[in-house]
Parts: sequence; C-alpha cells; structure tokens
Amino acid sequence: MDILIYGIINSATLALMAMGFTLVYGVSRLPNFAHGALYVLAGYISWLLLNELGVPYLLAGLIALALVAAVGGAMYQLILVRIRGMAISEIIASYAIGLAILEGLRWGGLKGGTFSLDPFVEGSVIILGVAVDWQRVVVVGLGVVLVGLLWVFVNQTRLGLALKGMAQDERAALTLGIDSDRMAVASMALGSLSAAVAALIILPLGSIVVEAGYHVLIMAVAVCIVGGLGSWTGALLAAFVIGFAQILTVAYLGAHYQVVVALMAIIVTLILRPSGIFGRQKELEERV
Amino acid sequence: MFEAQGLMVFYENMLALNNVGLSCGDRQIVGVFGANSAGKSTLMYTLSGIMDDIAKKERMAGGERITIRGGISFQGKDMFGVKPAARARAGIILCPERRRIFPESTVLENLHIAGYLASRQQTEETLDYVFTIFPPLTKITRRLGGFLSGGEQQMLAIGRALMAQPKLLLLDEPLLGLSPAIQYWLAKSIKEIAAERQVAIIVAEQYARPIMPIIDYGYILENGSAVIEGDRDKLMNNPDVKSAYFGS
Repeated sequence: MDILIYGIINSATLALMAMGFTLVYGVSRLPNFAHGALYVLAGYISWLLLNELGVPYLLAGLIALALVAAVGGAMYQLILVRIRGMAISEIIASYAIGLAILEGLRWGGLKGGTFSLDPFVEGSVIILGVAVDWQRVVVVGLGVVLVGLLWVFVNQTRLGLALKGMAQDERAALTLGIDSDRMAVASMALGSLSAAVAALIILPLGSIVVEAGYHVLIMAVAVCIVGGLGSWTGALLAAFVIGFAQILTVAYLGAHYQVVVALMAIIVTLILRPSGIFGRQKELEERV
Repeated sequence: MFEAQGLMVFYENMLALNNVGLSCGDRQIVGVFGANSAGKSTLMYTLSGIMDDIAKKERMAGGERITIRGGISFQGKDMFGVKPAARARAGIILCPERRRIFPESTVLENLHIAGYLASRQQTEETLDYVFTIFPPLTKITRRLGGFLSGGEQQMLAIGRALMAQPKLLLLDEPLLGLSPAIQYWLAKSIKEIAAERQVAIIVAEQYARPIMPIIDYGYILENGSAVIEGDRDKLMNNPDVKSAYFGS
C-alpha cells in the first residue's frame, strides 16, 4: 500500500515537473533546457518576495509565476529566435541560459538548506493506512487539475488550437495566419509558467536548492524521451512508469539508486523503442 | 485588387521565376497553368509570403541563398516582403500544394484551427457553408486528417482555407492525384465558391482541362516565365495551348 500511494505521489510530481518541457517541445519543437533553471527561479523569486519584501504568500506566488513566464517569453524573443530551427544550437543556447540562471543564483547567495517555502497546508492525513502530508495530497490534486486545464486550453481555445496546428505543420499554419514567432513566444511563456507552477507546488516539500534545477531537467528529459517527445499521453504514462519504478527501487534496492532509474529508462527506451512509448507521429507517417 | 509585377525568385543562381507579372480582379478566377517545375508553386509561395519564410529559414541555417525581387500589392496596400501571417490577416490565404492537412487532428479540429483569424460568428457560419458545399465531410468530422482519401483531403484543405476568411484564395494544384470525375466536380465547386463567398481565386494547376472552363483569365508558365496570357477564349483557342493541354 505504501508503494501504491507513494508511487502515485511520485508520479504526479514527475508529471508536473515534465509538463512544461513537453508542452514547449510538443508545440514549438523547441527543447527548452533552461526548464530546470526556471523551476528554481520561480521558487527563489517567491521566497524573496515572501521573506525580504513581506508580500503575502498567494500574491508572492502569482508574481513569481508572472515573472517566470515573462522570462521564458523574453528568452525566446531575445535569444532563441536567432537560432530557430537548429536543434543543437537551441539545446546549447537554452542550456547555457539555464546554467547562467542557476549559477547566477548560487553566486547571488542561494546556498544551503535555509531557503524553503511553507507548505500550503500543515499536517498529515492517513490514507488507506499510510500517513501522507497534506502537501503531497495537494501535489496530486493540483497535478490532476493542471493537466485538465492544459487539456482544455489546447483543445478548446483559439490560441491553444493555433499552437496545436503550428506543432503539426508549421507551413500550413502560416498560410492560415498563425504567426510562428508569436506562437513560439506563447509556448515558451506557457511552458515556463507550468515549470513555475510545478515549483511552487513541489518546493514546499523540501528546500530551494540550485541542484533541484539539474534534477528537474533530467527528470523532464527522461519522462519526455520515455513517453515519446512531444506526446502528452506518452509523457503522462512515462511519468507513472518512472515514478513507480523509482518507488519500487527505493523499497527493494535502496534510495541511492533512485536517479539511476530515470537514466536507465532513457537508455532502455532508446535501445528498444527510440521514438518512445507514444511515438505516434512516425507511425502515422508510415501508414499514410 | 491584386497585382504582382516583375517577380523574380532565385535559388542561388538558378532562376525559378523570371519577371512574372499577374493581376486578379474582384471575384475573378485566374488560372496559372504549367508543367511540373514550371514555377507554379514558387509563384504561389511568393504571392502568399511563404517564400519569404523559406528564404529566412535557409539564411538562418546557412543553406541556400534565396533572393526575391518584384512588387506585390493587394487592395492598394504594398504586400511585398510582408510576413505570411500578416498577409493572411489581410485576406490572402494559400491552400498549399499537397494539401498539408494537420494529420493528428480530426476533420472538425482542422477546421477549428483554421478559424484562428475568424470571429466566433464567422466560424459558425463558414463551418455551415463548408459542410454545405462539401457534403462528404459531414460524415467524417471525427476522422483524423492523416486517414483521409485524396479527395476528402482536398475538400478539407479548401474548407480550411475558407475558415480563414479569405478575400483572395490561392489554390496550389487542387486537382493533384484525384480521379477525373472528382476533378470536374471540384472545379465546379471552386467556381461556386468564388461566386457565393465573393472571393477572388488564383488557381495553379497542371491539369488545365477541368479548370480552363471556369477561369476568367489565365497565364501559361514555362521555365519560370509567363509565356502566354489572355482570357479564357484566347487561351483555349491558342494552338500551342491546345496541343500542350488539350491534346488536340
């Protein structure tokens, strides 16, 4: 029962971490390797607002979300737009930006375990005989809500549908008046926003450390590769596969093998099924 | 209403379009005929601005040097060098070669994506219209774009272009890969669309036979140049056109 409950929580956490990365890649074919940095940045900004400026919790969170979304959009507008379409350059540039943010934060004093956000709800609850912090329940609940909101956004709104068209065939989208640069800015802003949301929900469980940036990036990349790059359903499924695999290793092998699981999952996927669990696009192309 | 003069497009030093001029009046249907590689698609991409985007991408990736020269004006506004999305906003909508249907979206979603520039009311109204002129689409609204037949794809492609509320519709090879019966049916639909939606249409095609009867004015493209132009009767009576396109 421990394994089931903590597996679900761990999987929801992973899904939240990976959501922004999948979103940006799925829509703009832009591998945003600054994803982890934006995650930590969101946490640090809201910590600063809370503790240095005395802004109330909710407001601080909202400001942090807006700022990080703006940083994501600006990142595309100012830097990535110049190297658009060259995957390797995009990876290098976005990773460099991520490094600059993370190491800049470390240099600016983000060290040690003194930086932490309060959980939304204190205390814990017993579910099916297992004690769980309320915050972890919140993670799962908000995770479900967010995935639902994103689904509605992509399938029901004008901007979401335009993003979906752009993801499938850029040239066809252009002929319909959908601007590729504007869509890329929108998707980067949105992806950064979901990284920030994930940060604000997950970070209260631990403390804000620079290393979390690298950890989140690795997890996001692992989930996306296992699930099939750019596939939503794939990413969700992969989050559960890796999430449960991690909990099982912790239970039967030992906690220090946990990160190895994610990396092994990447390697095994690349050997057995390079396009991921849901490499749907390629299959469709072959059939038509 | 729409005018292009002296269009020149170079791929490196290869001349793809050589001094092509073309004009299209309100509600007119203009045909551009030519064999493969005559420059039809290059012309359509240049008119819709996609060529500028292709050139930009090549330049950024350090690929082929593509140069575009000439002038394009639409409803009195200079459109040369304007971004493709802005041209679409002005009402120039391309229905591209090989249709480019969104393969992972359903028929209905393809149409909804294309309603990006339309108001809610326009979307509803145009959706009704598309299903009226292309009744086969009503039965397959939930099928994925990638699983449609050629004819269905073409209907969807034209319907999708209509959703973007065109004032000038550019059709690039709409008859490609379709059976003769469907070709004639589609040509008839194109004529109806021009009259009922009050759009001007420029259609590029290598199968002149079904299209020739519906056009008001036409151009024959050869090796990137417009070698013959004239109204329908002049083209249909031209001996060179007759032998090349009507086999008699």
